[in-house]
Amino acid sequence: MNLEARRLVFILLFLFVGVVFTARLFYMQVVDDKWIERAGEVAKRKITIKPPRGILYDRNRKKIVANKTYYNLMFVEDDIEDFDTVAFSKLIGMSVDSIHLRFEEIRKNLDRKTKSKATGNDTIVNDYRTYMPNAFLSELSADEISRIAMDLPDFKGFYEEPMSMRDYPYNSGANIFGYLNEISGEELNKDRQFYNVGDFIGRSGLEKYYEHELRGKKGTKVILASARGKLVDNFADGKLDTNAQQGPPLHLGIDIDLQAYGEELMKYKLGSAVAIEPSTGEILAMVSAPSYDPNRMVGTRNIRSNYMKLYKDTLKPFYPRPLAAEYPPGSIFKVIQALVCLEEGVIEEDATFPCTKSWVGCHNHPTANSVSKAIQFSCNPYFYYAVKKLIQQGKYESNFKDAAVGLELWEKYMHSFGLGQKPETDIYGLRSGVIPNVDFYDHWYGKLRWAFSTIRSNSIGQGEVKLTPLQMANLAAIVANDGYYYEPHLVKSIGDQGPAEKYKVKKHTMVDPKHYGVAKEGMRAAVNDPYGTARRARINGITVAGKTGTAQNPHGEDHSVFMAFAPYDNPKIAIAVFVENAGFGGTWAAPIASLMMEKYLTGEISDTLKEQRILDKRFTHINE
Amino acid sequence: MNNLRDKTVGWDWLTILIVSALILMGITNIYSAAYNPERPFLFDLKTMYGKQIMWIGVGLFLGIVISLIDAEYIRKLTPIAFVTVIILLVLVLFTKPINGARSWLGVGPFGVQPSEFSKFTTALMLAYLFSQDRGKIITKKSLFLALGVVFMTMLLILIQNDTGTFLVFTAFFFVMYREGITFDPIILFFSNRILGMRFKQTWVGIHFIPVLFIVISFSIVTLYLTDSKHTFSFLPGYDVPGWILILSVITLILTIAFFLNQNFSSQRSKGKLRSVILIVYFVSIGLVGVVSYTYLNVLQSHQKDRIDLWLGKIQDKDGKDYNRNRALAAVGSGGFSGVGYHDAILSSPRSQHVPESETDFIFSVYSEEWGFLGSATLVALFTILMIRIVVIAERQKSRFARVYANAVAMIIFYHFSINIGMNIGIIPVIGIPLPFFSYGGSSMMSFLIMILILLKLDSQRKEVLA
Repeated sequence: MNLEARRLVFILLFLFVGVVFTARLFYMQVVDDKWIERAGEVAKRKITIKPPRGILYDRNRKKIVANKTYYNLMFVEDDIEDFDTVAFSKLIGMSVDSIHLRFEEIRKNLDRKTKSKATGNDTIVNDYRTYMPNAFLSELSADEISRIAMDLPDFKGFYEEPMSMRDYPYNSGANIFGYLNEISGEELNKDRQFYNVGDFIGRSGLEKYYEHELRGKKGTKVILASARGKLVDNFADGKLDTNAQQGPPLHLGIDIDLQAYGEELMKYKLGSAVAIEPSTGEILAMVSAPSYDPNRMVGTRNIRSNYMKLYKDTLKPFYPRPLAAEYPPGSIFKVIQALVCLEEGVIEEDATFPCTKSWVGCHNHPTANSVSKAIQFSCNPYFYYAVKKLIQQGKYESNFKDAAVGLELWEKYMHSFGLGQKPETDIYGLRSGVIPNVDFYDHWYGKLRWAFSTIRSNSIGQGEVKLTPLQMANLAAIVANDGYYYEPHLVKSIGDQGPAEKYKVKKHTMVDPKHYGVAKEGMRAAVNDPYGTARRARINGITVAGKTGTAQNPHGEDHSVFMAFAPYDNPKIAIAVFVENAGFGGTWAAPIASLMMEKYLTGEISDTLKEQRILDKRFTHINE
Repeated sequence: MNNLRDKTVGWDWLTILIVSALILMGITNIYSAAYNPERPFLFDLKTMYGKQIMWIGVGLFLGIVISLIDAEYIRKLTPIAFVTVIILLVLVLFTKPINGARSWLGVGPFGVQPSEFSKFTTALMLAYLFSQDRGKIITKKSLFLALGVVFMTMLLILIQNDTGTFLVFTAFFFVMYREGITFDPIILFFSNRILGMRFKQTWVGIHFIPVLFIVISFSIVTLYLTDSKHTFSFLPGYDVPGWILILSVITLILTIAFFLNQNFSSQRSKGKLRSVILIVYFVSIGLVGVVSYTYLNVLQSHQKDRIDLWLGKIQDKDGKDYNRNRALAAVGSGGFSGVGYHDAILSSPRSQHVPESETDFIFSVYSEEWGFLGSATLVALFTILMIRIVVIAERQKSRFARVYANAVAMIIFYHFSINIGMNIGIIPVIGIPLPFFSYGGSSMMSFLIMILILLKLDSQRKEVLA
């Protein structure tokens, strides 16, 4: 046997293995991409960088919602060395015990429930990692951190990290801006792409409506992470990184000074004051009373201490009254009724009805021998008769059928004024008010079992009809514009985009513009002429047109209502004020509206006595 | 004097060249794999590269000192060296285990692993034993002595729980194969004396290396199937265990062979073939049994896991398969020309994604940084080196030098193929170093001494030793 030949076994074996290894290496390194992907999975980490939220400006370019830098006191457990708890407790003003408790709490907060794959049972998994940064204290103000920062280098493993939170320089507009809160599990599940646990998200008001714009575009930094999760290097020299982009600024129609002034006037009162620029539909002010300082709801520390207080307050400061409170409009509704009657031709401009006080009550005033006088005097019987002619047009023999047809027609008119439907305002929490229709009464009384006499209270704004303060202000704007309006809106421009398309659409009512002169004249006279009901709404040097209302309230004192616009010839502001349980509209709502209009139009108040009277009046007792 | 010069033919420069290249590449690689930015100085003895260079120095020194000794004296000193290492191997059993193995002997930071040195002392011992036979055929006595030497060393290493080195010792069977050793006496003892057959010789006893490959392939199939479950449409409701499947297939094939033999074989060979078929049948069943039993009941759980992960029976890339998966990802992401020296992403010491990246998985660092070009070059260098050593072996006049040289070739082959094989996923994880690359003093010194002895013996290849 030739044993030398057996060397070939060795050599062939070596060659075979060499070829196999080379082929395998070629496949792994050159052909197959699987391992490159795997390497990415293992070592690539995306760090999300969230920009500060977009800024809000008022109509005069004043910064009304800004950002402020706060600080988190961070630590990485693995980096902590020679930790002197006593010195640390002195530095941060916490007892040694509570420092230990805090560490435990941080660890515990990262417990997570999961279903075990093996057993199907719920098990607790702890996500705390000693090499990852955690916040020991969060949301420290610049003052608070400056007290700590000096000595912080003595404590290895601890460091400060800036963060951005909201700041409201004017302390007002809480109901408009809303607030931010930590994201809920449900919200998180809707958009896992953007949000992470612990992120803040708009919870109400504009912060919620414009969340998508305000949050901006997050940036990513791709890093090479070590096996322990620490940053080692930028990945691919930062070529994969994208910059975070702050959300665009929102330019609001709000005049923050007017808003603040309105809130001041409405202090200790319940109700709303809404002002609109008639020529654009921009909301100038939207006061909800009572309100709160928006700075009280910034950050988890504040929210933790204030949210329940505000939430449990019986006066409901979170309730957005201008949008959601539905009230009977009272006599301001007569203006609309008059316009519809004129358009339908059931009355003429000089129609006269006697003030009989038999079907509906009234106060003493000269006989109303025209529509404008009827508005000026706010004569109840006049509108009873006029609206009766509108509803019961006598086209059908049956009174009931006739009323049903009439009401159907009336409902269409009401919708053209934006009533009985939700406005398209850019805020959540809007309600539609109530315009009772045929179905509504059929449901209550049965088909063809009701007529005008059943529903007569609506003719003077009582009964079933209900409006929100925003709708009332819009009515004032419609009259000021001679019959059209733009959907009232808060944001007039996102960045430099200009108003949204839907806010550029001029909406006409079904009433011909020619009839508005009569209504306006009546409102002018109500403020400026003898026997007018709204003489407290006069402003020196400016002609105001307005209409008072006193919404009857079976549960207590009547509500005081007023809608107005000014100046008469070139309306710049339309306003509606609603003060709950304050009695006659001319007494409280009218002067508040006039003060706000004067403030907006001239920037100052000529009648300080009038102002003082309002400021002194307290309908509620709020503990500040 | 003149006589001596004639016989000294000089050193094999190709081997020296390749080994030097490997050492330089290894040091370069360690300087990246274990780079410490606070200690960038290459010769800093507090770093792994500094230490590795020191070990190279010590290894070269020892190797050159040994190579000053005349080849004949090297041969004569062999038993002393072997016994010394055996004593160390026994001593090491009384130390505290590190990472589950009792391999380290020494004080403080400077320990040595006797098992590393035992590879070349056993190679020398094997050569020594075989060189005592003057004729062409190795005597039974030498064979049994050689087997005793190898098995004793293997046993001591197995007790250390150093499975990797244990496996390397099977390299010596290749050497025995080359020397024409036959295990026939043992096999015939069983077949003729015990089973009452009448074989004169067996193919198996002579060609045990081809048999080894058959057994390995057969074992892999068994490992893969033995604890699996199979369902068949004609056996609804039954899960057939894999081992039954294997046994059924063996039975089926050999039954067919049996009947073919009965009907078509010549009368003369029929009886013998029948015996062969029966023996093969029982041996295969025995093999299935031994492999399955070892796999399921004897192996330590991490060893079974490594086999399961390698065969793809279980997937646990972030758990049990962490090391291997990261090493494979590092190798695979190297691409054609690598990510660049000192620029490894996964296997760099900064990111630490590949554990043991200075020792068992050092190839992943090299391969990630130098890509396919570098890796293929390394594979080629090792392949050329191994072939060269076989060529050296075959030009020796003395059996001592030839046996030793072949043993060196096979030991390097085992280390090379197991280490790189596990780094590229075609062999389960078995922790043995890559020669000249992996960090470690004992390994580096023992390979250097091993090569230098080889070169020394080769330089006197025209002499007939002993």
